[in-house]
Amino acid sequence: MSAPKEFEVVGKRLNRLDGEGKVTGAAVYASDFTLPGMLHGKILRSPHAHARIVRIDTSAARKMPGVRAVVTGASQKLNRFGNFIKDFEVFANERVYHVGQPVAGIAADSEYAAEQALRAIEVEYAELPAVFDVMEALDKAAPLVHPDWQSLKAAPIIVREGNRCSRTVIKVGDVEEGFRNSYRVYEHVFRTSPVHAGYTEPRVAVAQWTASDQATVWCNTQLLFDTQSTLAEIFGIPPSHIRVIVPGIGGGFGGKLRLGMEHYAMALARAAKRPVRVMSSSEEELTAALFRQPATIELKTGVDRDGRILAKEGRIVVDAGACSGSGPLVASTGTMILAGPYRLPNANLEGISVYTNNHPNGSIRAPSGPMPNFATESQMDMIAEDLGLDPLELRLRNILREGDIAVNGQKMTAVGLEECLDKAATAIGWDLRKPGPNRGKGLACGWWMTSRGSSGSYLKLMQDGTLTMMVGVVEMGTGALTGAAQVVAEEMGMKLTDINVVSADSLTTPYDFGSQGSRTMFAVANASREAARDLLEKMRTRAAKALGTDEQALVMRDKAFWSDEKKITFAEIAAQANTAGGGLIAEATYIAPAVEHDASRVQNHFSPAWPSPSFHVHATDLSVDEVLGEVTINRYVVAQDVGYAINPTYLEGQLEGGAVQGVGQALSEEIIIANGHVKNGNLTDYKMPTAMDVPKIEVILVTHPSVAGPYGAKGVGEPPTIQPPAAVANAVAAACGKRIMHLPITAEKILLG
Amino acid sequence: MSAVARARKEDTSAEGSFSLALSVNGNERELLVEPHESLAEVLRNRLDLRGTKIGCNSGECGACTVVLDGSAVCSCVTLACTVPGSHVTTIEGLERDGVLDRLQEAFVEHGGFQCGFCTSGMIMSAHALLSQTKHPTEDEIRVALQGNVCRCTGYAQILQAVRAAAAGA
Repeated sequence: MSAPKEFEVVGKRLNRLDGEGKVTGAAVYASDFTLPGMLHGKILRSPHAHARIVRIDTSAARKMPGVRAVVTGASQKLNRFGNFIKDFEVFANERVYHVGQPVAGIAADSEYAAEQALRAIEVEYAELPAVFDVMEALDKAAPLVHPDWQSLKAAPIIVREGNRCSRTVIKVGDVEEGFRNSYRVYEHVFRTSPVHAGYTEPRVAVAQWTASDQATVWCNTQLLFDTQSTLAEIFGIPPSHIRVIVPGIGGGFGGKLRLGMEHYAMALARAAKRPVRVMSSSEEELTAALFRQPATIELKTGVDRDGRILAKEGRIVVDAGACSGSGPLVASTGTMILAGPYRLPNANLEGISVYTNNHPNGSIRAPSGPMPNFATESQMDMIAEDLGLDPLELRLRNILREGDIAVNGQKMTAVGLEECLDKAATAIGWDLRKPGPNRGKGLACGWWMTSRGSSGSYLKLMQDGTLTMMVGVVEMGTGALTGAAQVVAEEMGMKLTDINVVSADSLTTPYDFGSQGSRTMFAVANASREAARDLLEKMRTRAAKALGTDEQALVMRDKAFWSDEKKITFAEIAAQANTAGGGLIAEATYIAPAVEHDASRVQNHFSPAWPSPSFHVHATDLSVDEVLGEVTINRYVVAQDVGYAINPTYLEGQLEGGAVQGVGQALSEEIIIANGHVKNGNLTDYKMPTAMDVPKIEVILVTHPSVAGPYGAKGVGEPPTIQPPAAVANAVAAACGKRIMHLPITAEKILLG
Repeated sequence: MSAVARARKEDTSAEGSFSLALSVNGNERELLVEPHESLAEVLRNRLDLRGTKIGCNSGECGACTVVLDGSAVCSCVTLACTVPGSHVTTIEGLERDGVLDRLQEAFVEHGGFQCGFCTSGMIMSAHALLSQTKHPTEDEIRVALQGNVCRCTGYAQILQAVRAAAAGA
């Protein structure tokens, strides 16, 4: 690689474009949005994990003060939905199959009135047998969560059998042969618990019907167009008749990918013939949101005398909950994390998702990442210990390097993993792994993809010589759109502040796959860069004509084209084009090029090839209190191969925030569920890290540029949440000899485990 | 919810039944509120000061933090009718003549937020701290912000922003 060129705008620590509004309180979030005549909706939820609905009587509720509409499964025809299997109902019809399942909704003059009226709805249930454990659910004798599973529509990639709602396999070589040739074979089982995405703004939607088959929804979804098409499917109207607008979003982390309150708001607004706002309460967030799936991971790994992996067999069993949701995707992609960024001559890796009567789950930041990574990277340390090898050395003997073939048959390029390992180990002082009593260091490595999916960008030159960029994606807070605007400004020879960003209106902005998959800045910047080049060409043509010179003779400088001493500014070009030329606009779309893989190795895989893969290593130095079992993180290092840093400040923010989110999953966060009921539905008992809990995250940016990425950038948002559980588990084992194989790593487990 | 509150007609768009006088961002305000209305609801719904956010609505996340008579409080669990005659400062009250407060500047400068939903509350907690302690220690800053949950940043750039604002004071 040649030395990085110095740029004017990209690579700079420039202030984000949406900064001032967010520090003055002027920024409008979806939860700030209101309409005249707006009602407030509340949802009645099932208290049972599995029951037949015998009778619903809403007559008393309808007479309560301020009540304008009551909706149940029987009152409107609403179609089933679901991203891979149509197993969600808006309101329960004959049966409820998880606690918290919506049974009815009420729209009233105030939230208070709606809440009061909920209590007046009478529902008679007849309880049915339920299943809560994935292994029990897989038993042929287990009650079926969906006895009608065969009649539920599903995507062709899905293979189902009873409570098993998906299965993905990666197969390479002959694992049995590999195990026979192994010096040692290790078998372990790991478990993880459900966690919440942790966004601070609850899910909210305001819906208004503008005609009998047309509606507008203001909400805080991460995915405008998926929300639009899902709502269209539910209400049986064309997608273009539903306008989705995100005024602003208070965090997402994957927890706002799928429908939140939009469908309830729309159903209630249709019944009430008034705009309706529905906002999830804090309790609903922690008992009825889309959590990260708990998983059981079985791993069998065979190595030679030097610790080289000869065979790996593994299975990740994901508890999808009562509706499949993202479960199939999580289980499928999980197989790649089971493999890890290692050379595997023989592998047999399986990912399955399973229905239970627990609450349905979602896709939280790096959806398939932390669970199998916790298993794989914990086991690497256990193997190293047994062989008497340094865990760093064991990894260096097995990692993927430039040109290696990964488990899916993909040839690896721009592999910064070894550099990440070296730098993280050096930074944490790996030579001294046990610096004192009850103190130890651990590390974990991993890989992830930059998801594909389309992005479009419309650009227009404004009368004042600035540029407006219109994109169909939501600025979740990552700074992705500031990053994309930096790329556009660089192309256009403009300042960052010359770029006006318009986003997140399904009617006016171009299609976008959405704020997900570590792809937002990557794809939007690529599309916008292409559009900027086109716009610049059009401007150059006009400038040449105006100055009476050749296009080649023009020099672009200070937002103007120059021919010797003569110049025409961007503002003048815009004015001229607007009055005499129809205006100046440009557009472009982008999708990352497909990556080659070996299709014979994968079955029913959702992401069989990884575009612009990223590589990362986390290392930590922590102490374990001998008496209390409490873990104190002394130091935490993140080394991530980011390709290129478009804006180092916000990139570091992603890595710091992601690592702390992962440390939460490692040490303290757990949605505790017993027989389908959440036991800790408040933020006092669900323990997210606070300013008192976090160490300083030391960030090391490693840059092996991606050919496809804007200026070489790779996707960065999800990876930092992947490695913390394993890094922490390995450091805890180094500190006190306790190997915790079930997340979170609580003081109780350390003391009793 | 008290029995009294339950018995009353609740509609924030309508006139309330309890007279409340207080100072908000230096302006004397007199209004009628319902006894069960929180300070956060009054600020947002009756005074249109929506910079104060409601996250958990149960005093656990800190998004609704305002400065009440010099102290940072969760306005979502502060009943409005319990604070007559008080002085309230919200995020909208920090800017002076179109000039951002040093904390606001520092949060922008140091990447002290991402989604920004916790930011109003975070800045108000820091503002209460710096009003009382000109040069806080690292521990004092962390303690002051411990009631404000931020999922985006991992707190590093927030702490940096508060340190910078304190140093510039």
